[in-house]
Amino acid sequence: MTHDVSRVPALRADRLGKRYGHTWGLRDCTFEVPPGAIVGLVGPNGAGKTTLLALTVGLLAPTEGQVELFGERSRAQDATTLARVSYLAQDHPLYRGFTVADMFRFGRSLNPSWDSGLAEARMAALDIPLGRKVKSLSGGQQAQVALTIALAKRAPLLLLDEPVASLDPLARLDFMRDVVAASAESGLTVLVASHVIAELERLCDWLLVLNGGRLQLAGAVDDLLAGHAVLTVPRDAANGALPGRVIERTDSDRHSTVLVSAPPAAVVAALFRGQTTPPNPPGTKGVRAHAPGWAAEPAGFEQLVLAYLRRPQVAPVPAGARGTAVA
Amino acid sequence: MIWVTWRQHRTQALTAVAALVLIAVYVLVLGLWARSTFNSDAIGNCLARSGGAGCGGTISSFLHDVQGGAGVPLNLVLLVVPGLLGATVGAPLLGQELERGTWQLAWSQTVPRTRWLVAKLGLIVAGLVVYGAAVTAVVSWSLSPLDRISVRTQPPQFMGEGLVLTCSLLCAFGLALLAGLLLRNTIGAMVAGYFAWELCLGVALLLTGPLQPFSVTKTIPCAGVACTAASTNSVPPVTGNFGDLVNSVTRAGGHLVVNYVPASAFWPLQSVSGGIFLAIGLAAAVTAVWLLNRRTT
Repeated sequence: MTHDVSRVPALRADRLGKRYGHTWGLRDCTFEVPPGAIVGLVGPNGAGKTTLLALTVGLLAPTEGQVELFGERSRAQDATTLARVSYLAQDHPLYRGFTVADMFRFGRSLNPSWDSGLAEARMAALDIPLGRKVKSLSGGQQAQVALTIALAKRAPLLLLDEPVASLDPLARLDFMRDVVAASAESGLTVLVASHVIAELERLCDWLLVLNGGRLQLAGAVDDLLAGHAVLTVPRDAANGALPGRVIERTDSDRHSTVLVSAPPAAVVAALFRGQTTPPNPPGTKGVRAHAPGWAAEPAGFEQLVLAYLRRPQVAPVPAGARGTAVA
Repeated sequence: MIWVTWRQHRTQALTAVAALVLIAVYVLVLGLWARSTFNSDAIGNCLARSGGAGCGGTISSFLHDVQGGAGVPLNLVLLVVPGLLGATVGAPLLGQELERGTWQLAWSQTVPRTRWLVAKLGLIVAGLVVYGAAVTAVVSWSLSPLDRISVRTQPPQFMGEGLVLTCSLLCAFGLALLAGLLLRNTIGAMVAGYFAWELCLGVALLLTGPLQPFSVTKTIPCAGVACTAASTNSVPPVTGNFGDLVNSVTRAGGHLVVNYVPASAFWPLQSVSGGIFLAIGLAAAVTAVWLLNRRTT
């Protein structure tokens, strides 16, 4: 999927911060997400993921900075903001004593743009009877009912907080497939906070990594992957001799494996020091260097995310590169 | 919002109506029995003939029977049910949403949460007012034979007639609503709301007794037996008016110095007690709205 950068971003955070008492739950968070993107929001527990989502939907007000939804500032307790965003909270809360039909009537009563047709068609497709009480549904069915309420609100931005955490593997697949389908159908922008990195790799074309309340990484997945490389170098090669920024280095007996944040050109230049033209274009395939013991591989999604998560002290993406392609 | 409020509170509403029916049946039986006793004891005739003089014993035993015997459950109902009912309705309104996490669902729809809360409060308060008025009506009807001969500035009549019952219902509701927001727990909020309401009820009861703000002192001339026999328990009371509550009688020469709460204090006292209940309930509800509005920090 390509993103037209000139369009108004679906979601934009500008130096967003939220303080709880003396501690910052989220700080200095700046990024942009284009319309139609499916964004993975990754971070350890307490990283600020739920805070970011709550600030976006206006359930919390920022201590500093702001969030913009489709070019307009998100405000707490504002009907315009609320109409632009659907929020599916963690553990998909529903009124347990309600029937599915009651839940939909609840949605219709509180949302002028409610799409009854969509809600009922989805229940029919999923074979969930409207007359059933929520508490008698399985966890997967409850998650689907909650997702349906979020979708039938017909807001252009959908926020999902750990939507599959309580689901079995099959229900996870079904749920995520439905999210992707909904996004493709109506150009919905989706922000998914999740611990399941493999799930996000299949799903997302955009990535936000939060760690300790700070944004470590933000951008299109393809750009982020292209902006990183895994180098294999002799163990005695100093970090200073490596291209770009060292994110993670693992030393073994003779070699070191290093994940660096560096544009492809810099990686190639390092590998072919002293040579005028590299023999093959870099990036997609591994490059075997002329320098003995040096090699480069493209970074994998999970490898990249885990490397950042393991190193909260790695400073956030430099200001100039935030929210845009690192390459 | 009307449907949403109804759907979320219909179990409570139906329970409250069931409670109303039970109370009504009991109060109806009590009222019919009180009426037939009132007639068979010929109290009405006695009042018409002599203003109650000469049938003091009959009147005393009638009042004793109605208020002390068959009416005891009514006292309990009036001293427990408004708090229980108000707390049951108020506690889950915010407490359950916060306890179960459904607030995230409720407040992320297109209706901002303050509007959501104010709409719900409006509808529920209207329901409680109607309910309180209905209970007041049946209780007042049941106790109406007593109105002419008993002290209405005392429980049970004071708690069951006029404004106090409805206001105390609203008070318990507001307290439990606020407790739900603070405790984020339904049962805890119910208990806290109920006991906070009992404190308010205690104040209201003190106002009908030791802290009575409307008692007056009057000097009545008397002679002979009327002087020596006069006491706080005289029937009819030494002030000559059945509705008066005589606190003390002292003899001074040919006079009686009487401290009493006149029957006419009923409505002023109702206003004060009801006003206290209402002000506390309103303050709690306004605090809840205010806290919810700024709970974005």
